[in-house]
Amino acid sequence: MATPVPVLRLPKGPDPNSRGFDPNSPRFIALCRTSISTSAASELDPEELQKEQHARSVLREKFLRCLFAMTNKQVYFNLHEKVKVEATFGASDIDVLNFQVSDLHTPIGVQKEALIRSRDVISCHFDV
Amino acid sequence: MAMRQTPLTCSGHTRPVVDLAFSGITPYGYFLISACKDGKPMLRQGDTGDWIGTFLGHKGAVWGATLNSDATKAATAAADFTAKVWDAVSGDEVLTLAHKHIVKTVTFTQDSNCLLTGGNDKLLRIYDLSSPDTAPQEIAGHTSAIKKALWCNDDKQILSAAEDKTIRLWDRNSTEVVKTLTFDASVSSMEYMADGEILVITYGKTIAFYNALSLDLIKAVEAPAPISSASLHPEKDFFVAGGEDFKLYKFDYSTKEELESYKGHFGPVHCVRFSPDGELYASGSEDGTLRLWQTAVGKTYGLWKCVLPEDLGTENSEQLYTVPPEIKA
Repeated sequence: MATPVPVLRLPKGPDPNSRGFDPNSPRFIALCRTSISTSAASELDPEELQKEQHARSVLREKFLRCLFAMTNKQVYFNLHEKVKVEATFGASDIDVLNFQVSDLHTPIGVQKEALIRSRDVISCHFDV
Repeated sequence: MAMRQTPLTCSGHTRPVVDLAFSGITPYGYFLISACKDGKPMLRQGDTGDWIGTFLGHKGAVWGATLNSDATKAATAAADFTAKVWDAVSGDEVLTLAHKHIVKTVTFTQDSNCLLTGGNDKLLRIYDLSSPDTAPQEIAGHTSAIKKALWCNDDKQILSAAEDKTIRLWDRNSTEVVKTLTFDASVSSMEYMADGEILVITYGKTIAFYNALSLDLIKAVEAPAPISSASLHPEKDFFVAGGEDFKLYKFDYSTKEELESYKGHFGPVHCVRFSPDGELYASGSEDGTLRLWQTAVGKTYGLWKCVLPEDLGTENSEQLYTVPPEIKA
């Protein structure tokens, strides 16, 4: 009498709450275009490319310094669906996927510690 | 001790699964896309069947789905008169290509730069994905709805199968027909294997193998029931087929002998494909499920775990899940 081949578990089914494509999966992090690609003009002209690269470095440095300056400051976030929240900024993760914040004021109360998904943020501002 | 095949059922679709395709082998494994009449094609990890994501956007049944070789792009063909191109990593829709009728089949060239589509408007279309606003090249000739279209001969030629009971081989540049094969019955499926230039065709109860360049018949095999789809193993030692009697059949390619048949689906099997490493094959059915089947039954692979007799009953053996036998209707 043949025994059925044992299996470790059954294949995972769909998540009813989301369409999937987990942004935290290694494949997503490695392959997803999170940056803006080279402009068409720069692709053709090496001098243009160098200028564009320089501009990218300057902008990136400003952005990182901005994140650094936000530490422990009161930051106001504009999220999707016209939601505005404020919190004390803690830090960003290395891929700028999540922001760690404290005392997050939300329309339904104050969350002592929270993570805000950076993809949910449209803009944010703070006093230097 | 003989082991019995344990198919792995992938649930999630709510209507019949009509098409499925594997990607090539990527650094992250290989992937599987399924086309379903519920309009929501799904991407799964190929070796486990785990759901990764659902491509949302089509407004009608999805008849065809494909992945490019490295599984970074997906394309789908639907009853809403569009073909769509998707980013298969983020799940985002990248392009919508409007057609004049139901689109049935989509396929990328090896470099993923061009997309071939075909459908009920009887035209083959070639889209240049780097300039999607440019009108596609159109190839006319079929006298009924196109069911399947494929690139072959290093993307220099196109093979198409239609309801007009013909399979036509076209030259991509001249768009002229090179050869036509005519059958007595409508061709139910077509699979192309670049390595060896073999074309696998099913019609009626027949699974036929042709040379894809000359369209000469290599061999034909009769199955016990009408077959909807067949797939040849990458090493060309087996082929599998499924059809109207709900069963999956496994044959020896050289001897044409039927080796095994497996029950499991609760409805006709519409599509069957070997994985790129040949270790498993996936089937899609009218019952709304995909099932994964092992090529070598009992081998440890993916979610299947080989258990040797000496492992049974030991203190520290892993927790294993044995699927109870399917209840026979």
